[in-house]
Amino acid sequence: MKLTRRAPAQHGETIVALIDVVFFLLIFFMLIGRMDATAPFDVIPPVAASGSDMPAGGATLSIAADGALALDGAGVERAVLEAALSERLAGDPALRLRVNAHRDAELRHVLPLVGAAEAMGFRDVVLVVTPAPAP
Amino acid sequence: MAGTGLRRPTRPARLISLVPMIDVMLIMLVFFMVTSTYLNLDMIPAVHQQDSPAQAAAPSDAGGTLMIRLGSDGIPVVQGAAVPAGVLSALLAGRLADDPLLQVLVLPSGGATTQALISVMDEAARAGAVRLRVVRLEARP
Repeated sequence: MKLTRRAPAQHGETIVALIDVVFFLLIFFMLIGRMDATAPFDVIPPVAASGSDMPAGGATLSIAADGALALDGAGVERAVLEAALSERLAGDPALRLRVNAHRDAELRHVLPLVGAAEAMGFRDVVLVVTPAPAP
Repeated sequence: MAGTGLRRPTRPARLISLVPMIDVMLIMLVFFMVTSTYLNLDMIPAVHQQDSPAQAAAPSDAGGTLMIRLGSDGIPVVQGAAVPAGVLSALLAGRLADDPLLQVLVLPSGGATTQALISVMDEAARAGAVRLRVVRLEARP
């Protein structure tokens, strides 16, 4: 009599583990990603060691190295910038203005805007910096 | 009359396929991985007005004043002498040891870069300056 070993039942590869990993990755990227509008030009913020953590929210005024401006990711001319800022400030009087200036931007393009924002009534204006690498 | 008992066999419950959900999740994962830009950003307050006038009114006559001029070449100048990078912090620390309420004024040139101003503010903060202001000259209208 010939005895044959029964072939083990074919089990398909379980994909539950794959689904779990993909789902956790998806949640991870959704949580840590901050949806911010980026400026239509390159902005490399200056490096500072004394900066503090920047909370989310507020309007972002980007200043390129050549002085070009963008408000919340959209290019804007200097002549209409104050009107746009006033409109936003009217909607939220406690609005924070984040000035994201390129590190090579000359201060004649930056400081007058900070002064103008203060004169318009912005009570919270911050300069965006990049934390210095740890020694 | 007794029935013959013919019954349609019940169909086994059909499993919902997970493949479309996996496809959607993978597409969303790739989307977030590709479109996300991860920046580690900090902030330095430039204007911070207190709600309470009592808090906003700081004693302006307490302590002395030290003016730091920032040239268009990015080199700080204190009392007419250029101060190399790295020395400014020690100089300010020495002055602040004598006068903890020393007010540090930074007068930058319009041609100086933002990085130069931030570096001076950084060194002042590192030296322990608590009263730091950036002033600028405006053209007379």
